[in-house]
Amino acid sequence: MIWAKEETLPRSEIEAIQLAKLKDTVRYIYDRVKPYRDKMDAAHIKPEDIHTLEDLKKMPFTYKADFRDNYPDGLFAVDKKEIIRYHASSGTTGKPTVVGYTRNDLDMWLNNVARLACMGGATADDVAQISFGYGTFTGALGLHGGLEKIGASVIPMSSGNTNKQIMFLQDMGVTLLVATPSYALHLGEEIRKRGIDPEKDLKLRIGLFGGEGMTEPMRDEMHKVWGPQFVCTQNYGMSELCGPGVAGECTELCGMHINEDWFIPEIIDPDTEEVLPPGELGELVVTCLGKEALPLVRYRTGDLTRLMYEPCKCGRTTARMEIISGRADDMLVIRGVNVFPTQIEEVLLKIDEIGPHYEILVERKNRLDVMTITVELIDDRLLDSYGKLNELEARIKSMLKSQLGLATQIRLVGPNSLKRFEGKAKRVTDLRKDGL
Amino acid sequence: MIRQISVFVENQPGSMMEVTSVLTEAQINIRAISMFDAPEFGIMRLVVSDPARAKEELTKRGFVNRVNNVIGAELIDENGNLNHMLKILADGKINVNYIYSFVIRQGRAPVMVLHTDDFDRAEEVLKAAGVKLVEEEEL
Repeated sequence: MIWAKEETLPRSEIEAIQLAKLKDTVRYIYDRVKPYRDKMDAAHIKPEDIHTLEDLKKMPFTYKADFRDNYPDGLFAVDKKEIIRYHASSGTTGKPTVVGYTRNDLDMWLNNVARLACMGGATADDVAQISFGYGTFTGALGLHGGLEKIGASVIPMSSGNTNKQIMFLQDMGVTLLVATPSYALHLGEEIRKRGIDPEKDLKLRIGLFGGEGMTEPMRDEMHKVWGPQFVCTQNYGMSELCGPGVAGECTELCGMHINEDWFIPEIIDPDTEEVLPPGELGELVVTCLGKEALPLVRYRTGDLTRLMYEPCKCGRTTARMEIISGRADDMLVIRGVNVFPTQIEEVLLKIDEIGPHYEILVERKNRLDVMTITVELIDDRLLDSYGKLNELEARIKSMLKSQLGLATQIRLVGPNSLKRFEGKAKRVTDLRKDGL
Repeated sequence: MIRQISVFVENQPGSMMEVTSVLTEAQINIRAISMFDAPEFGIMRLVVSDPARAKEELTKRGFVNRVNNVIGAELIDENGNLNHMLKILADGKINVNYIYSFVIRQGRAPVMVLHTDDFDRAEEVLKAAGVKLVEEEEL
């Protein structure tokens, strides 16, 4: 099922919608958001300079750092009383990236999520278990609301507690699972360990995955674990843009359809910032159209992908983006949570007992990401007892947990054990291959 | 009162040897050593002939280390002597954090090295009970 007629319009009509909304958006941000107005003035651009979609290139980029510099709501375009929901995601440092929604924004968002739920094969008959962590993360409440829009029965399970997950899957006749792909693989293996054959014993038939990318090898694994009947698609979004709902795979599995009447995608060379032609690999830049609370123009997502404009066999005419092939920056996705090494560094520098050098190792154990941070002990007072060293480890873990929202492993080593770098340090080792 | 030096070592092949080789090169004698298994790292505790110089050499070579006071109690090798000493401490409600013994001392009685947070009282009750405490120069 195709949720909205805008998904199947001829390209000329899609572009006409985009241009009209783009002109409004540029006028809107210029009038209402000072940081945008300052940037536009500095670049000598006025709202009336936007005549065609090509003119979008004249607009300045918006960076993750703009959220930090204008924390918490300096980029908002409406009064607080218009906001009916806040969400937040990781910032590059201690402060999160806060996003807000007006009533119209929420409706737009959840309709866009409804579109990609339909792309993945969901219908009103589905019983959907949401195994994303609830909270300020946009994933859980986004899929929750989008699936309610199409009339599916939603179970707000949240993440963790595998036994309870499995009990609901069995007892409630769950047909649709929302999770990170790695958690879905972990859950599937736990189910098999309990002697349950998902193909015969469960009604599950659809997986809607997000929070992290699903590679083709992961999708193959998914079929081995859950059975060949399991239709698994992934979708794309980030909280700054609205959350999930930006793009999603249809069951043809040939890229993620972008909801182009709400988002204009561009691909740029992340170094030269030049716009690249369709089909070329580069950093995805997204302009949100018609967002009220938090308009966003030319947002540098940091995600590397390419765009395809040929219509799809599914009947949709919207542009498709390939599965994300990497990052233009050093952001890591750990269990679906975005982590910037700078966030970790900020915590470590506050702890006097350890030195300023550190290394981050990311591995996948039992399908789940494990992040180990190695730090150098420098304070000899801790050698009085193992208790003091253990207390230090526990304190580092707890400070990182509150900063990142993630459990980490800590490894203490002696001073000067870690490699020193001249120039740009390479502190992160990611051993995950194809997400497996 | 004697001094021990505690050294942070990672739990991997050769890490203890790195410490002992620094001491050997500096011609510092090891009188007693203690280390027990820990998953990732350990604290190696040593009584050496020259703690100040050992600290200097180990620090120079990048080891986190710390010199602190411990009690050395000489125990004649007879049945029940360790038990006797521990009973004195227990009666004094003194908690022993850890204890280890000297490597063989030629022709002399063994020494137990113990660490407590209640250092002065431990010395007091042991002395009062007639346990011989050793000083560094006697080692």
